[in-house]
Amino acid sequence: MALWGMVIDLDRCTGCQACVMACKAENNVPAVGAKEAKRGRIISWMQVLTETDEEHHGEKTRFIPRPCLQCDDPPCTKVCPVYATYRNPDGIVAQIYARCIGCRFCMAACPYNAKYFNWHTYQTEKPGQNPDVSVRPKGVVEKCTFCHHRLQKARERALAEKRDFDPNDYVTACAQACPAQAIVFGDLSDPTSAVSKLAASPRAFKLLEELGTKPKVIYLSEGEGRG
Amino acid sequence: MTRGALVRLILILIVIGVAVTWGYWTGLVESGTTQPIQFPHKTHLDLKLACTTCHYRAEKEAVAGRPPTALCLGCHMGGDTQSQEIKKLRAFGETGREIPWRRVWRLPSHVYFPHRVHVTIAEIKCQTCHGPMESLTRPPEAPLKILAMDDCIACHEKLKSPEGGGKAAAEATKMAARRISLDCITCHR
Repeated sequence: MALWGMVIDLDRCTGCQACVMACKAENNVPAVGAKEAKRGRIISWMQVLTETDEEHHGEKTRFIPRPCLQCDDPPCTKVCPVYATYRNPDGIVAQIYARCIGCRFCMAACPYNAKYFNWHTYQTEKPGQNPDVSVRPKGVVEKCTFCHHRLQKARERALAEKRDFDPNDYVTACAQACPAQAIVFGDLSDPTSAVSKLAASPRAFKLLEELGTKPKVIYLSEGEGRG
Repeated sequence: MTRGALVRLILILIVIGVAVTWGYWTGLVESGTTQPIQFPHKTHLDLKLACTTCHYRAEKEAVAGRPPTALCLGCHMGGDTQSQEIKKLRAFGETGREIPWRRVWRLPSHVYFPHRVHVTIAEIKCQTCHGPMESLTRPPEAPLKILAMDDCIACHEKLKSPEGGGKAAAEATKMAARRISLDCITCHR
């Protein structure tokens, strides 16, 4: 069984937000409107966090694209009282919207703020949305699923064409959209995959690693040129 | 409570009961779907046509859909006909319009059911979920079978755990794990 993971090279990231927009379009992520945004209710499964350099204040900004980190030991799944969020055999942390009761325990448990709540019905089904992803109703928590529907489609295609599934057939929308190729996606259980090789780099680090969440989104820190 | 008040209460309850029942039944009758053409599935399937002859998208895509008018006209174009329904079909063809079929089967939007793998790989008979469509002489007004999650799970569970043990079973389980999943996110999206 594959173990899907992602490597984000912070040296390559220009903060262009292409991944953010690609994610929103792919996953029918709603625009909540100005009023809701002011209340901190923006939904953005992929978010580019910014961090200003303390030494060179106002001169340097670091961009950290943050999807759901798909922890291998996710804190969010442990608190869900209804098994609406869980880690599936592929290592993807799934969210079953039909099962979610909107208690938001998982949001409180997630140290990365990667989960979002639908405070209102932000959108209804209409043409132009991605038919492979449902429109979430009011009162449920939603999150990045590593574009799981793409994995499913790729598997189905392989089955229909009577061939083995090729991991290269599956890529997330954010990785596909990144013009700087800062986001690399693949199978972490395969040591020959590009993502595994990058993850073994000395530049590799994980966000809040000390919490023991074992995220499968691995960052590559900025190189020697910085600072 | 006086006798008069009790009688009044009972009368009010009767009126409410009648109104609710009447509303429920009219709602049910109106919810029936009427199609623009009274297509007889039986006639076509008696001619030994397969379901996928017309619903060909079922073998290629997630949604089976209804066939385009051009496909119907492939057979119904030439010759004289007494049938009002075929005349209606030709009228749609002449104006170049698609027949405005109304969708009868609709799964909840959070359910992902790909026809392609169920038809081509699993080779499940259409009737398993759709009921005895081959016996219909006119389009169904409502789905012949109401599907619940248990229907999906029952089939997936049955196929996932092969009987017996040993290497063959382990191999079958491995194959099944790839193809027939009980993982929630496989069907819930």
